[in-house]
Amino acid sequence: MSILENGQVSALRKTSEHFSFCSQVPKAKPKHRIETHVCGNMEVENGEGQVQVHLKTKQEHYAVPDVPYAIEGSVSTTELNIFLNALLQSKGAEGVDFDFLVFDEYLRGRLCDHLREKAISFEDAIDIEYVERFPAPEPQDCLLHDDWVSAVKASGKWILTGCYDNTINIWTYKGKHKLTIPGHTAPIKAVDWISLDDENGRFVSTSQDQTAMMWQWNIASNAVECVSVCKGHERGVDSVCVSPDAQRFATGSWDTMLKIWSAELEDAGDSTAKRAKESGVRTPRMTLQGHRESISAVQWMDCNTLLTSSWDHTLKVWDLNLEGIKTEISTNKSIFDASYSKLNNLIVTASADKNLRLYDARTNQGSVVRNTYLGHNAWVQTVMWSNTEEFLFVSGAYDNQNKLWDCRSPKAPLYDLLGHGEKVLDIDWSNPKYIVSGGADNTVRVFKSSKATVENMETK
Amino acid sequence: MTKKQTIKRKVKEPEPTNEESVSEQSDNEENEDLLQAVKDPGEDTTDDEGIDQEYQSDSSEDLEFESDEEGNYLGRRGNKAEEGKDADDDEGEDEDEDEDEEDDEEDDDSDDDSEDSDANDASATPKDDQPSSSKAADAQTKAEPIIEIIPRDPSKPEYEESDTSDEEDIRNTVGNIPMHWYDEYKHIGYDWDAKKIVKPPKGDQIDDFLRKIEDPNFWRTVKDPLTGQEVLLTDEDIALIKRINSSRIPNPEHNEYAPWIEWFTSEVEKMPIKNVPDHKRSFLPSVSEKKKVSRMVHALKMGWMKTTEEVEREKQQKRGPKFYMLWETDTGREHMRRIHDPVSAPKRDLPGHAESYNPPPEYLFDEKETKEWLKLKDEPHKRKLHFMPQKFKSLRAVPAYSRYLRERFLRCLDLYLCPRAKRVKLNIDAEYLIPKLPSPRDLQPFPTVESLVYRGHTDLVRSVSVEPKGEYLVSGSDDKTVKIWEIATGRCIRTIETNDVVRCVAWCPNAKLSIIAVATGSRLLLINPKVGDKLIIKKTDDLLAESPSQDIIENERIKTAVQWSNADPDEQEKGVRVVITHFKPIRQVTWHGRGDYLATVMPEGANRSALIHQLSKRRSQIPFSKSKGLIQCVLFHPVKPCFFVATQHNIRIYDLVKQELIKKLLTNSKWISGMSIHPKGDNLLVSTYDKKMLWFDLDLSTKPYQTMRLHRNAVRSVAFHLRYPLFASGSDDQAVIVSHGMVYNDLLQNPLIVPLKKLQTHEKRDEFGVLDVNWHPVQPWVFSTGADCTIRLYT
Repeated sequence: MSILENGQVSALRKTSEHFSFCSQVPKAKPKHRIETHVCGNMEVENGEGQVQVHLKTKQEHYAVPDVPYAIEGSVSTTELNIFLNALLQSKGAEGVDFDFLVFDEYLRGRLCDHLREKAISFEDAIDIEYVERFPAPEPQDCLLHDDWVSAVKASGKWILTGCYDNTINIWTYKGKHKLTIPGHTAPIKAVDWISLDDENGRFVSTSQDQTAMMWQWNIASNAVECVSVCKGHERGVDSVCVSPDAQRFATGSWDTMLKIWSAELEDAGDSTAKRAKESGVRTPRMTLQGHRESISAVQWMDCNTLLTSSWDHTLKVWDLNLEGIKTEISTNKSIFDASYSKLNNLIVTASADKNLRLYDARTNQGSVVRNTYLGHNAWVQTVMWSNTEEFLFVSGAYDNQNKLWDCRSPKAPLYDLLGHGEKVLDIDWSNPKYIVSGGADNTVRVFKSSKATVENMETK
Repeated sequence: MTKKQTIKRKVKEPEPTNEESVSEQSDNEENEDLLQAVKDPGEDTTDDEGIDQEYQSDSSEDLEFESDEEGNYLGRRGNKAEEGKDADDDEGEDEDEDEDEEDDEEDDDSDDDSEDSDANDASATPKDDQPSSSKAADAQTKAEPIIEIIPRDPSKPEYEESDTSDEEDIRNTVGNIPMHWYDEYKHIGYDWDAKKIVKPPKGDQIDDFLRKIEDPNFWRTVKDPLTGQEVLLTDEDIALIKRINSSRIPNPEHNEYAPWIEWFTSEVEKMPIKNVPDHKRSFLPSVSEKKKVSRMVHALKMGWMKTTEEVEREKQQKRGPKFYMLWETDTGREHMRRIHDPVSAPKRDLPGHAESYNPPPEYLFDEKETKEWLKLKDEPHKRKLHFMPQKFKSLRAVPAYSRYLRERFLRCLDLYLCPRAKRVKLNIDAEYLIPKLPSPRDLQPFPTVESLVYRGHTDLVRSVSVEPKGEYLVSGSDDKTVKIWEIATGRCIRTIETNDVVRCVAWCPNAKLSIIAVATGSRLLLINPKVGDKLIIKKTDDLLAESPSQDIIENERIKTAVQWSNADPDEQEKGVRVVITHFKPIRQVTWHGRGDYLATVMPEGANRSALIHQLSKRRSQIPFSKSKGLIQCVLFHPVKPCFFVATQHNIRIYDLVKQELIKKLLTNSKWISGMSIHPKGDNLLVSTYDKKMLWFDLDLSTKPYQTMRLHRNAVRSVAFHLRYPLFASGSDDQAVIVSHGMVYNDLLQNPLIVPLKKLQTHEKRDEFGVLDVNWHPVQPWVFSTGADCTIRLYT
C-alpha cells in the first residue's frame, strides 16, 4: 500500500505549491498510481523519495491534526520546523523551534539517513514526535578565582564554589563575589548546600585534607562560621551530597569509604562525642565499606538510598536502613562522576574514555548500558541531570567543554557550552535557571538556560 | 514399313461406318478431293520410302539392345513422323491404296489388328470396338486374350492397361522386318501356329478401278501391310487424320483453352504466413567446402600456405635490413638441436683381433709398442689401443677382471649415497604457522587513548613513579626538580627543587610509608611528599627523623662509598628527610617490595656500583666485591630474596640470603636499558637499546622465551602492571606499546604475549622519545615520560 502511496505522492508533488518538500496525502487518487510508483520508490532508496509521517506532540498547545503527511526523505530538522510552523500559524503560535523525535531518538541530519541507520522501512508510516526545542543556554557570567575551581553548587541565587587554593567562595548569579572562606588546608574537592533561606545558609565542603566542614553563613552580616569539622576519612574526600531532607550528608573518599554524617546543627545522635562536640569535631554516623577504590561521586536517590560511583568500575546503590549495598552495577571503566535523575530513574556516568553512559537504576543485576553518548573528545569529569527536565543533562570534560545533552540524542549533544579555557572540573545544574561550571582556568562560568524555567520556577 | 504398320494399326474397321457412308455421300466428294489432294504428289515417293526404311532399320538396329518400351516409343515416333509427312505429302496414303487391294480378303484378320491398335488409339470409341471384337472372336480364338481387352474408357488414361509393344498386333510373327521381302512369296508371314499367312488375292488395275467406282468406302479403305488385308477407316480415324493434317491437336475433346486453375497463387503476400527464421539445422553445411577449408587450414598450420599478410611481411623482410640475434638464437638453436637432432653417442668399434684372448702374434705388442703404451700412462686417450693385447693359451686361462671388485664397490657406493627418496614438499600456509592470538578486543581493558598530559617540567622528564594507592604521581626531570601530581586532574601539587639532575624517582611501594626516593646527581633523597593520609605522613616523618644507633661498624669500603645524613633545614622544608650521598652519580634507584630496602646503581662505581640500603637501620651494603661488568640496573624480586643485576649484556640473579649467584640470563643483546619483573616473580621483561624486548621465563630457561621487536628505536623502559596482565614499553621512537602478557598459574602453559596498542603522542626531542613508562597501580592506565617535558597518561 505504501508503495502506491509513494507513487501517489510523487505524482502529487508537482501540483503542491505550498511547500516544495511536503504535501498532504489525499484519501483517493488512483489515477497516477501505477505510472509513478516505480520512480517514487527508487527515489526513496536514494534518500530523495518520500516517507509518510504522522506528526505528534505531547505539548498540546502545539498539536496539529493527526493526518499523514508525505515528506521528502532528505528533510532535516530545519525544514520540518518551517513546515510545522506553517501548520501552526493558524493557531497563533509562531517562531517556535522544535526538535523532532523519530523512534525515541532525536533527528539529526537527514530523515532518510536516520531511518536507514535504525533499519526502519521507508514504507511504514513514521511517527515523528516534536517537542519544543530547548532554548540555547546563554553564557552569562564568568567568575574569576585565584585557582582551579573544583567544586560548584548553586542554590537560589547563590553559587558556592570550592577552590584549589583551599578556599570556599560564595557568589551571586550576578557575578558578585560575596565571601571567601579559608579553612581547609588542602584543595576543596566538593561542596553542597544543606539549607538556604533568606537569612541563613548552611553548606558543607570536603577537601583533600581528609575532612568535611559544615558551615553556617549569615547572609545579612555576610559572616560565616564553621559549625563542625567532620573527621574520619583517611584520604581526601572527593564527594559530598546532602540528603533531600537535609538531615544527613554523605561523603565519599579516596580511602574507599562512604560515610554518612549528621547535617544537623547539633549532632544529637552521638552521646559519646561530647568532647568532640565542644571542639566542633564530628564523627560519622555510619561508615559503609564496599568499594575497592576511590569513591568519585555520591548522590542521594531518596532519604534512605544512596548512589555511589567509584574508580573500581562499579556503581553501587546503598540502602542506609540495611547499611549495605542494595544493587551494584558493574561497568568496565572507571567512573568519575555519576548522576541520578528522580524524574526518569536513570543514571548517567562519566568516564575517561570520552563517553557518557546511561544506566537504569532499577535493574537489579547486570550492567546493561542503556545508551552511550559520544561527543566529548577527552576525559569526562563531571555530569549532572537537570532537576526539571526529564531528558536533559549536562556534562563537563577535560576538552574544555560543557555539553548539554538530551538523553534521546546519543549522537550529538543539544548544545556545546563553550567558554572554559581549561579542563572543566565540576558542573552544576541544581538551579534550573543556571548551568554553572568550574574549571582549571580558575573561572566559574554561568550559563543561563532561558526557557527553563520561567514556568518551572513558577510551578516550584 | 513401320510407318505403314502404325498407320494400319490406327485403321478402323470399315463396317461400323458403312451405315454412315450413305449419309455421308455428299461428303465423299469433299473427302475424295481432300484425299486426292493428299495423294497427288505421292507418285515419286519410293525413293523417300527407301530412305525411310533405311532410317527405320537403322533405328531398329539401335533398338535391338534397348528395352521394349524404347521400341514402342520409337514406333510412336515413327507415327508422329508419319503424321508430319501426311501433312506434306501423300506418300503413305499412296501406298495404303496400293495395298488395300491386296488386303481385302484379310479384312477380318486385320480386325484384330485394328482392334489392338484401337486400344492404343486415343480416338477409338467403345461403340466401334464392340462389333469388331465380336468378329475377331469368331475369326481367331488365338487372339482371344488381346480381344479380351476391355474397351477403353475414354475417361481413363490411354495406356492404363498396358502400353508395351509386346501386346502389339502379332498375328504375323515375322516381326519387324521389311515386308517387301515377302513380295515374291504367296504368303506374307506366319501366324502363331506357324502356318503361312497367305496374301489375299490381289486384283488387277481394273478390279481396283471397279472397286473404286463401286465401293463408296474405297476412299477410306487402307491395306494392312502385315496381313495384307484391307481396313476400313472409321469416321473417327478420318477425323483424326484430318485434324492431324490441319496440324491441330488430335483429340477433339481436348480443350486448348481450358479455364486456368491457379494451383499456385500469383499474388505475393506481404506478410509471410509464418515468420520463424530458418533453424540453424536447416542449413546443411557443405561437406566438400568443409573439406576444402580444413585442407587449407592444415596447410596454413603447416606453413605450406601463407596468407597474403605473411607473404607481404616476408617480402618486407627480404627487402629491409636484417638483424641477427647474436646470442639468443645461437643458444636457442643449440638447445633445440639437442632435442631435434641429437648427436648420437659415438659407436664403439667392433672388437678387433687384438681383443681376442688369443690374438695372432702380429697384434701382440712388441717391446717398443709396450714402451710407447706405457709412456702414455698420463694421457691414456692418446694410446692407439686402450688395452694391451694379451695372449692366453685357452679361454680357461683368462684371469678374472682385475677391476671387478673395485667397480662393483663404486657402484654400490653410488647407490648407497644417492638420495632415492623423493623429497616431499610440505605446503604449509605461512598464516597457519603464526600462533592464533586472541583479538585485542577480548583483552580489554587496556589503555587506548591519551587522556591527560601533565605539563610543568622544563626539561626532559627522566622518570615517573606512582603512589601505591594511585592518587598521586611523582616525576623527576633534568630541570632538577621533582614534581608531585594529582593524577585525576593533572594538577601539580608540589615541586621540589634539587641541586642536580634527577635521574630516577621511586615511590615507596609500601602504602604505610609516604616516601619517595629521588636520585639526583650523586645524592639519594628520601622525600616525604606530604600527600595522602596525614597519619601516614606524620608517621613517616617520625620514622625518618630519628636515626637508629649504629651497632655495626661499617667497613671502609662502604664508608667511602656512602654517607647517610639527615637533610638540612632548607631541604627539610621541601620535604626531604634523609640524604644518602654516594661517591658517584646515581643512575637508578629501586625499592624492595616491603619498602625497607632500596638499591641504587652507580654505573661508574666499578666494583661498588650496586648498593643496597636498609632504611630502618640506615645501613648500606655492597653486595658484590667484584664487578662483572658495567651494571645498568638492579631489581628486587617481588617475593623471594633475590636480586637481579643487569650488566650490559647479561642479567645475573643472586640469592641475597645465601649470597650466591643463582642464574645468569643470556640476553644476547648489546646493551640492556631496563628491566621489570612480573608481580608473581617468574617472568622478567628486559628492554635493550638495540630495539628489542626480551621476555624471560625464569623457570624455563636462561635464554629469552620471546624476543619482541616492536619498536623502531632503542627501548628505554618496560613495566609490568601489578594487577592486569599488561606490560608497556617506551622507546626512543616516541611510542609506548601496550601488550598483553598473561602468565598462567598452570606451569605447563607458556605465557601469552599479544601486542595490543601503540600509543604515539610524545614529541621527539634530540633523538629521544619516551624515557620511562610506569603503570597505575590499580587502573589499567599507563604513564609515560618523554623528552618533550611532559608526562602523559593513557587510559
